[in-house]
Amino acid sequence: MKYKVFIGIFIVELLLLIGILLFSYISINTRIDEMKYLRQLCQGLTATDLAIWTEARYTRHPSQTDIFSAFQDCPSCLEHFPAGSVLSPPPHFRRPLEAVK
Amino acid sequence: MRRHLMILEFALSCLCRRKYKNLALLFAFSLLVFILSSILLLTYALKKEAIEILQGAPEITVQRTVAGRHELIPVEYINKIKTIPGVGKVEPRYWGYYYDPFIGANYTLLGANRDMLRKIEILEGKSFFSEQKGVCIVGKGVAKAYFAEVGDRITIIGADGISYTFKIAGIFKTASDILTNDLIILSNDDIKRLFQIPTGFATDIVVEVYNPEEIETVAEKIKKLFPSTRPITREEILRTYESLFDWRSGMILTMFIAAVVAFVILAWDKATGLSAEERREIGILKAIGWESSDIMELKFWEGFVLSSLSFFTGLIGGYMHVFFFGAPLLSTALKGWSVVFPTLKLTPYVSAYQILVLLFLTVVPYMASTIVPSWKAAMTEPDQVMRG
Amino acid sequence: MTVVLENVTKVYNPGQPNEVWAVKGISLRINKNEAVVLKGPSGSGKTSLLSLIGCMSRPTSGRILISGRDVAKLPERSLTEIRRRTFGFVFQQFNLLKGITVRENIMLPLYPTGLSLTEIKARAEKVMESMRLSKRADFNVEHLSGGEQQRVAIARALINDPEIILADEPTAHLDTKLSEEFLRIIEEIKRSGKTVIIATHDPLVYDSSVVDRVIELRDGMIKETQ
Repeated sequence: MKYKVFIGIFIVELLLLIGILLFSYISINTRIDEMKYLRQLCQGLTATDLAIWTEARYTRHPSQTDIFSAFQDCPSCLEHFPAGSVLSPPPHFRRPLEAVK
Repeated sequence: MRRHLMILEFALSCLCRRKYKNLALLFAFSLLVFILSSILLLTYALKKEAIEILQGAPEITVQRTVAGRHELIPVEYINKIKTIPGVGKVEPRYWGYYYDPFIGANYTLLGANRDMLRKIEILEGKSFFSEQKGVCIVGKGVAKAYFAEVGDRITIIGADGISYTFKIAGIFKTASDILTNDLIILSNDDIKRLFQIPTGFATDIVVEVYNPEEIETVAEKIKKLFPSTRPITREEILRTYESLFDWRSGMILTMFIAAVVAFVILAWDKATGLSAEERREIGILKAIGWESSDIMELKFWEGFVLSSLSFFTGLIGGYMHVFFFGAPLLSTALKGWSVVFPTLKLTPYVSAYQILVLLFLTVVPYMASTIVPSWKAAMTEPDQVMRG
Repeated sequence: MTVVLENVTKVYNPGQPNEVWAVKGISLRINKNEAVVLKGPSGSGKTSLLSLIGCMSRPTSGRILISGRDVAKLPERSLTEIRRRTFGFVFQQFNLLKGITVRENIMLPLYPTGLSLTEIKARAEKVMESMRLSKRADFNVEHLSGGEQQRVAIARALINDPEIILADEPTAHLDTKLSEEFLRIIEEIKRSGKTVIIATHDPLVYDSSVVDRVIELRDGMIKETQ
């Protein structure tokens, strides 16, 4: 009766998936107020960008005009927009000379 | 119905014949779905989150450029912009970046906008911000970087080389990390002094437009009035974020393209080369009274069992990875190396489109590669099996 | 159930350089409950004739009547149906599926019939008992001896209770003792009222007392009938 085992596993996984989608649905609804609050906060701060890529000033506000220059904060890293390279540069490269002293 | 179950039963017996090979395949298949679904779910959730939140961004941000670079904008522009019909409040913004060499982190310093900030509750513990000199509000990330609490003081070196200290009057709620994590809010006067912004100038100007339909027209009018400015509409910001996350997910997908290609090669190999053994077995089944359609159904079940289980396992795993565990395997690729990264609490947005894309990338090629070749074999005459 | 062949020919790869005339205008009649041997050297058309009778291939020309029904023109679906209901095959190489158990191999023809698993298993149990395979039921077929493998093949041919058993060189891989045992089984099958058609060039088989008639083939034609 292998097929019963398979159908059992299949149904369990399907229920899990449905459960997850239900969880999504509920979370989206419970976060409506939170999202509204964040939107208001965004309005209050006149924020134009999210604080996700904070490693360098040219990645902080992708939507804004700026004096972008990739090597300002770290002369050794090859940069790509919008965040820094996948791996962090070695720590001694991350601080300007005066900080190392 | 029972007939289909019996063929399924036999398909499972067939899969059990090569237990380890099929378990390995199940694992590889699940892993592929896991990786792809993690990428798709994470970037989609971030994109949705960004677009939801940034609906609150200013309708138009006016920045002045000189030779394509950002320059301070004269505050007197405000009066002229105010005369454009449909325009509400027009206010200057004072903001900039501060790099703390000792912590190695970048902060965003923003002058508080009195009217707007008063409207909403922003602080943990303290409910409203009142503008005072020498006082600041910081994001969670900043507070953590300085190991500071409410009442502590932080020092910022100004453009004139003098150290200024500010008392932390409040820390933003964790819930607002995605907007405020690296923020230091000061009074406008403090910002101007700190950055030595000359009188009569601001960093940029934000413009309120009552009717969303008119935003574009107002932006055009501003551009006409002041040709050296760049008005950024909310629409443009949203578009930037959309393409940005698409770009980002494309970037990570590229890293895994080799895995996808390997999978396609596997599927292709299966599709083109049916082994002599498999061909013989199909012949035997036909000879003892299986119809071509029964054999195709057998192959369908074999493919279905493997790919449906892998798909579910991978998708459920990917979902948990992203929304319950915060996507630790992808975060480096997404975060970059920022020192103050917000703790992302993402809303688990899932779309049918994503699930369809996943299906088409994984299950469909696999199913096709199991069914198509056996279809070819099942069409041959069963007496092949008797000769040689 | 009688089988009648009328002027049947079979050409492989017609019109191509490797064209082969395997069967050239054979007419014959096999009656119910008869044990017939198709005898002849390899390449004489025995196997082709057997697969034509068993509805595994269609004749290039001529008619094949099974219970008076011309099967040459039937669609593939009905042909499969006839194959399943009427014939049980015992192949030269046994053609068992490796890696699955004796029981599952024997159950193989019944999977797509719509019977329940319990019923299929009960039937398999019965056939296995008659073939003295019950102890081997849960062994994988590749672990069985040649004689046992053949008994599995015969059991598989019998499970759908066919009226005609077709065997292609059944003793090719068996020693004398096992071949004799095979003939005993054939005798039992015949006694139960089934028709048996065997293609072979093994004297042990065609000289056996079980066999009612020997049809000798050469170059795709009937040479002699004894």
